Amino acid sequence: MIDPLICARAVVFAATMTAAGAVFFMIFVAEPACAGAKAGASVLSTVRVQSKWIVWTSLGLCIVSGFAWLILTAAAMASRPAAEVFSGNILWTVLSQTEFGNDWLARFVLAVLLAAAVAASLPSSSAKPAWLNPVSAIAAAAFAGSLAWSGHAAGGIGLEAVAHPITDILHLIAAAAWVGALIPLALLLGAAARATASLPIARAVVLRFSTLGIASVATLLLTGIINSYYLAGSIAAVVTTDYGRLLLIKVALFFAMVAVAAVNRLRLTPRIVEDASPVAVLKAIGHLRMNAAVEAALGAIVIIIVAALGTLPPASHAQHHAAYGSVPADAAFVHIHSRQGMADVTISPGRAGTASATIHLADEDFGPLDAQAVTLTLTAPTTGSKPTTRIARRDIDGDWQVDGIALAVPGNWAVVVDATLSPNKHLLLDAPIVIDPAQ
Amino acid sequence: MRTMMIVATLLSIVLGTAAAQAHAHLDHASPQVGSTVTTAPSEVSLWFTQNLEPAFSTVEVFDATDARVDQGKAQISANIMRIGLKALAPGSYKVRWHAVSVDTHVTEGSFTFNVGGS
Repeated sequence: MIDPLICARAVVFAATMTAAGAVFFMIFVAEPACAGAKAGASVLSTVRVQSKWIVWTSLGLCIVSGFAWLILTAAAMASRPAAEVFSGNILWTVLSQTEFGNDWLARFVLAVLLAAAVAASLPSSSAKPAWLNPVSAIAAAAFAGSLAWSGHAAGGIGLEAVAHPITDILHLIAAAAWVGALIPLALLLGAAARATASLPIARAVVLRFSTLGIASVATLLLTGIINSYYLAGSIAAVVTTDYGRLLLIKVALFFAMVAVAAVNRLRLTPRIVEDASPVAVLKAIGHLRMNAAVEAALGAIVIIIVAALGTLPPASHAQHHAAYGSVPADAAFVHIHSRQGMADVTISPGRAGTASATIHLADEDFGPLDAQAVTLTLTAPTTGSKPTTRIARRDIDGDWQVDGIALAVPGNWAVVVDATLSPNKHLLLDAPIVIDPAQ
Repeated sequence: MRTMMIVATLLSIVLGTAAAQAHAHLDHASPQVGSTVTTAPSEVSLWFTQNLEPAFSTVEVFDATDARVDQGKAQISANIMRIGLKALAPGSYKVRWHAVSVDTHVTEGSFTFNVGGS
C-alpha cells in the first residue's frame, strides 16, 4: 500500500532539491566556469535553457505535490478525512494558524520568486543585472532550507527550538547543492563534450563542482553531528524500530553516494584535468556523467526514505489497527507513555467477543522494564460498567499475557496497566482502546 | 582517522534526522498522572515534549460519570496546556488530551487523578 502522504512529501523534497540545486549549479559552477572560456557562451546558453526547464518543472511539481501535502496534512492535523478539509475553515486554519501552514505559504511565495528570478536570466537578455544572482541564490537557499519547518526539527523547546532548525536548514541547503546539482552537471558535461574546443569548460566545471561537493559533504557531516546532540540516548530505539531500520538503509545509501563521489574526485577528475588526450578526457567525462546519474538515483531513494521517516507513527499515538511493527491486522493496540515507563497493549482480536491481551513494558528509553507483577484492568464504554481486573502471566518473551478476556460490547474501552516494579513502586498507565463490533 | 571519519559519518546520518521521539508526548502533568491530591485543584496543566498547535490541540476533564468538569476552552502556549476546572468533589477524574505538535503529528492519551483519597 503506497501512502499518498509519503508520495507527496517525496515529490516535494526531490523537486525542491533539483530546483535549488540547478540554481546553485548555474551561479556557483556553470557561469564562473564558462566566463571568458572559448565556446563558453554557447555551452552556457545550452545549459541555461536546460537548467531553466529543470527549475520550472521542479517548481511546478512542488506546487502540485505541495497542495496534496497540504490537504493530507490538514486532514491529519484535524483528524478528519481529506475530503472534509475544504469545509469548516480547516484549510484556512492550518494555513493561518499553524507553523506548517505558515511555512507552506512562505514556500509558495519563494517558489514564485525563484521562478521569476530564473525567468529574468533568460539567455536572450545579454546583460543580467548584478543583483539577480545573489537574489536567486538566496531564494534557492531559502526554498530548500524552509523544508526544515515541515519536519521534525520544528517544535523543539528551549535551545533546540533555535539550534535544530538552523542545522537542518544548512543540512537541506548542502543536500540541494550536492544532489540537486547532479542533473545539470551531467547535462553541462554532455554539452561541453560535443566539441574539443569546449573541453576546458568541462575541466573547470568538474573542479568547481568537486569543491562544491566537498563543502556540501562537510556541511552534511557537521550539521548531522550537531543534530545528533538532540537525540543522545535514542540509539537503542534507532536500532530496534522500523524507523531505525529505514535510517540504516539511508546510511548505506549515503556511503554508496560518498564512494561514487570519491571515485569521481580521486580517479576521474585528475584524468580530465591532467590528461592532454581528448579521447581519454571524453572517456572520463562519460564515466563522470554515468556516476552523476548513479548518485542522483541513490539520492532519490534517500529522499523517499526521508519522506517516509517524517510520517512514521508517533510512539505515544494511541491507534487501532496499527500499520507498523508486529501488531496483527485485526488487533487493537495502544501505546501508553508516562515519565516512568511505557506499555504497548495489544488486544487480539480487537473486536467484541473473547480476546487475549499482550502487554509489553519498556522504560522511557525503550529498554526492557522488569516488573514483579502486572495486572490489566478493562472498563467497558457502557455507563455504569464495573472495571474488570485480571492478573497477567509472564510469557517466554518476557511480555505479559492475559487470556480469555470477555469484551461484551464494542466501543472506546478504558485500559489500565498496573506494573509492580518493587514492593513500594508501581507503574500505573491508562488509556482508551478502541474495540470493533463483533464480526 | 579514517575509522573515526566513518563512525562520525555514520552517527551524523543515523542521528541527523530527528528520530520518532519528535512528537508531542505528555512529559508530566499537574495534578500528576495517577496521583491523589487532598485539595481539589482549580486547573489541570499538561507539559508536552514538543510545542503544540493551539488550533488543533484539546484537553477535557471528566468525572466518574463521564460528565465534563472543565471550564471549556484550554489555554495553550508553547508546550503547555492548561484548563480551568469547576469545583471538584472528592472522586476520580479523567483527563483526556489530544495534542497536535508543530511538526503536525497527532498524539492523544488520557490519565486519571483522584481528589480526596477516594
